[in-house]
Amino acid sequence: MSSENEILLQRLLSSDIKTELLALFHENPGLVDTTSGVALRIGMTGTEVEGDVRDFVELGLLTKRTLGEGKTEVVQLNRSRDREIQASLAKYFRGLKK
Amino acid sequence: MTTTNRVKTGIAELDEMLSGGFLERDAVIVAGAEGTGKTTLGLQYVVNGATRYGENGIYVTFEELPDQIYRDAKSFGWDLRSLEDQDKLRVVCTSPKLVLASHEGVHLLDSFIQEVHARRIVIDSLSHVAMFLSTEAFRQEAYRLIMYLKTKRLSSLLLAESSQSAGFTGPIAEGGAGFLADAIVLLKPVEIDSAMRNALAILKQRGSDYDKRLREYTITASHGITIAGQFKGYDSIMSGSARKTITDEILGSWTRSMGESKGASKPRVRLRP
Repeated sequence: MSSENEILLQRLLSSDIKTELLALFHENPGLVDTTSGVALRIGMTGTEVEGDVRDFVELGLLTKRTLGEGKTEVVQLNRSRDREIQASLAKYFRGLKK
Repeated sequence: MTTTNRVKTGIAELDEMLSGGFLERDAVIVAGAEGTGKTTLGLQYVVNGATRYGENGIYVTFEELPDQIYRDAKSFGWDLRSLEDQDKLRVVCTSPKLVLASHEGVHLLDSFIQEVHARRIVIDSLSHVAMFLSTEAFRQEAYRLIMYLKTKRLSSLLLAESSQSAGFTGPIAEGGAGFLADAIVLLKPVEIDSAMRNALAILKQRGSDYDKRLREYTITASHGITIAGQFKGYDSIMSGSARKTITDEILGSWTRSMGESKGASKPRVRLRP
């Protein structure tokens, strides 16, 4: 269990961009935007963030949706998965203290 | 006889002006210049809905990141994060293009509406939607947006920028949104006796009586928007340069002054302060 959480933690914080993305989505849990739009909000370009966004989508932390006739892809925070991850990590940290 | 449900803003005097509140599923435009309290009114509408009337809501912003909205709301004592945790509210931050987009019948707002069983929504603002579109396209998209919100059984407040000097004008009015809206509330800064004050007027409310008088309002940290009385003793307030009304009292004062001035060199006219 703990190694799973260690891997999860490493995956969540493996780059500065991921840290910025986590802060952005936690401060603004209702943010819905394209990858480029999200990047703009942390002062970066879509190309710079797309790999990390994809990884968060794979983790289930972000959800990807398709909108409009142009089939625009947008991402948003998956609140229930986020709560799940936070609870799991909190439990892991509590275990480390003991 | 059919009765129509009222959607209360929770601002007692405004609800009174609206004969009990807005009508259910109405699309209401709140127009005003920057700094007149449109966002505050919008937040008060969704917070009161969720906390006092069991009507959960969604606040859609194109303007700011929600963390700024959370902070501003907190200054009024409204804890939006707590309401979100209780699934009574969602603050959605996105772009106008995405809100207008739908794919195979799925709309960006659908999931948020379902999550909180929303009955109210604030769109902040219609002016951002207008910026992306030509006047003709805006008319069509504003109509589509309003009809979408009605179909979802939402009572909506659509905030709109309006220039300080004029009333309800600009691209929103030219795009015909005023015609599409069921009600229009105008917030306007006015200069009286060299001080800026705020005036609120209901310009329209379809299917209901409403108070057509201009009312003063204040924004305080403890209550948000509070509506005070009328601007007694002034007219031409909506022009932006109010004039004192010539009342019987003032006329009497003038007459007395003029009578006194016949015998001594006193000011011919004295206006009450």
